[in-house]
Amino acid sequence: MSRKLRTRVAIRAGKLASATSRIAGKGEGMVVGGRVMLKLAPDAIADLANGRVAALVSATNGKTSTTRLLANAAEQRGPVVTAATGANMTSGVVTTLAAGPPDAMAILEVDEAYLPMVTAATKPQVILLGNLSRDQLDRMNEVAMTARKWRTMLAANPDVTVVANADDPIVTFAAEQAQHVVWVGGGQVWTADSAVCPECGTLLTRDDVQWHCTGCGRKRPETTWELRWDKGAGTAVSKSGLELDLSALQLPGRFNASNATLAVAVCEQLGFDLAESVKRMCEVTAVSGRYAVVDVGATRLRLLLAKNPAGWTELIDVMPPAPAPVIVSINSNAADGRDPSWLWDVPFERLRGRTVIASGDRRRDLAVRLLHADVDHVVIADPYAPDAPLPEQARALDVIDNAATYTAFHELRTRAQREAQP
Amino acid sequence: MSDSVIRIVSIYPSLLGTYGDGGNVLALSHRARMHGLTTEVAEISPGQAVPRHGDLYVLGGGEDTAQVAAADALRADRGLAQAISNGASLLAICAGYQLIGEEFPDATGTPSPGVGILDIRTDRLPKRAVGELLATPSPNAPAKLTEPLTGYENHAGATHLGPDALPLAQVESGVGNGDVSEGAISGRVVGTYLHGPCLARNPQLADLLLGWVLDRDLEPLVEREVEELRAERLDYVRRSGR
Repeated sequence: MSRKLRTRVAIRAGKLASATSRIAGKGEGMVVGGRVMLKLAPDAIADLANGRVAALVSATNGKTSTTRLLANAAEQRGPVVTAATGANMTSGVVTTLAAGPPDAMAILEVDEAYLPMVTAATKPQVILLGNLSRDQLDRMNEVAMTARKWRTMLAANPDVTVVANADDPIVTFAAEQAQHVVWVGGGQVWTADSAVCPECGTLLTRDDVQWHCTGCGRKRPETTWELRWDKGAGTAVSKSGLELDLSALQLPGRFNASNATLAVAVCEQLGFDLAESVKRMCEVTAVSGRYAVVDVGATRLRLLLAKNPAGWTELIDVMPPAPAPVIVSINSNAADGRDPSWLWDVPFERLRGRTVIASGDRRRDLAVRLLHADVDHVVIADPYAPDAPLPEQARALDVIDNAATYTAFHELRTRAQREAQP
Repeated sequence: MSDSVIRIVSIYPSLLGTYGDGGNVLALSHRARMHGLTTEVAEISPGQAVPRHGDLYVLGGGEDTAQVAAADALRADRGLAQAISNGASLLAICAGYQLIGEEFPDATGTPSPGVGILDIRTDRLPKRAVGELLATPSPNAPAKLTEPLTGYENHAGATHLGPDALPLAQVESGVGNGDVSEGAISGRVVGTYLHGPCLARNPQLADLLLGWVLDRDLEPLVEREVEELRAERLDYVRRSGR
């Protein structure tokens, strides 16, 4: 394969910028490097993609984990390029494509808002659409607006195959524009952003897993794959009668079994061996620090990323039961969303019976929310300090769960990595 | 009100609840409990009749399609307008605020008819208003409102008040209605762009609404968590703007 000279020069400049950023201690430098590359070679993504992008993965929640599951499965065919860090806007995509072997298969996570642009540039074989719900409303589009942009994108790219979650009516609305769709029953716990039909505004009628619109007749499509979730273990079930046991997945919770089921449907489209795919998915332990156990200061934590109500609603189930205390760290930097109003959409009432340690820049917002949820709480700016006034039960735990918003999560991860160095 | 239970009606939370609006209903029940009062909450879905005999109605914010659907349903039902003319109180936030007026823009910017409970008209701001909003109660606002109003705004509406509506507050930082005023008040109807949710961050406003239902003023009660949050937010906005 031959890359344009312009792209090659841009890659060198981008790598230099990334390295400078890393040396300066400003993170992994992917975004900076990518920006430099795109400035010098605006069509670098298309040039680097060059027909080797097997799949793009987008969703409000779970895209990093799903991408990792899928990339692990794809390695049965040889080397795969994929972003290890969740860098998912155009700058992250271009850096990822430039990093690996030039003809390796690419499996890319893409931010919801950037998906149309990245689809046009990379011409992927498959697009996986997981779920859409409210997230960072201060800077992102409203949910229905994103779905409309996806529709336009799919109408303009008739060759792509879409694997979509049929249980999310907003995703269904977007995906039905595609010529080839594989519908997957991945489940939907958070329904507040798909209460009404995105087309005609009628309140959707729901009956167990089925949903339909009495206004325009839209309904849950027939699925090719379904997640069956029973007593904490999942099975991916196909219409043709195939059953794939997902109980050995190391990523916890129903939502990760759902991510795996969607990934299995993509693997089928790409012609992978499905048993081998699941085996490789089960080898994934922590994804970019999610669910990793780390030491921060005087405390051993399990890191949980919880950045919006839909994610939270699923995550509470993977926490140990009350009265085990938990730490919750809420920030409101740009990447978290500046507006923490979403805390009022999280069913924190389900944490009753334990003490919540409220931390992060917006710990006072969390404290007011917990006050209204009748959840016992203490507000501590640095709960990891040796002399932090932690409740006794927290000190007694070997590992305490710490759910954190995006930047709070990364602060903890970085601090743990720094402190782990001798 | 009757039987000393305050009947709160949350209208269409499935359509209008984008910005943590459920928190306003929680805050009303919470403040009522602090004052030794009992509340019951009815959540009304579109298609269900809006009860005529509630004491305090709450409308939240929502996306464009949902906003038009809610306005159409409320006009057809007529229950809300009837309850207000019978003396019930109403808090309407953001999209809910716009839709109780005469008209508001739909997803394409075309004027869409409102419920006509408040004398306001909304069109588009030149630029979407997103950020912390801090406002001082207007001279015409009820005397019980003395503290600054704090919250977050995220809307594209420029709201113009007619002669039958008065501004709720004057903007200190942020956009509000778009003409330095923020929100509107008329009788026992309050509309505002403050979400966050507004009543948890502004307990005086919650007490004002509850006091209207009881026809008496409530004792000022403070909670440490709430005061600490208010102090932090006021300080943040005054130091760094939005």
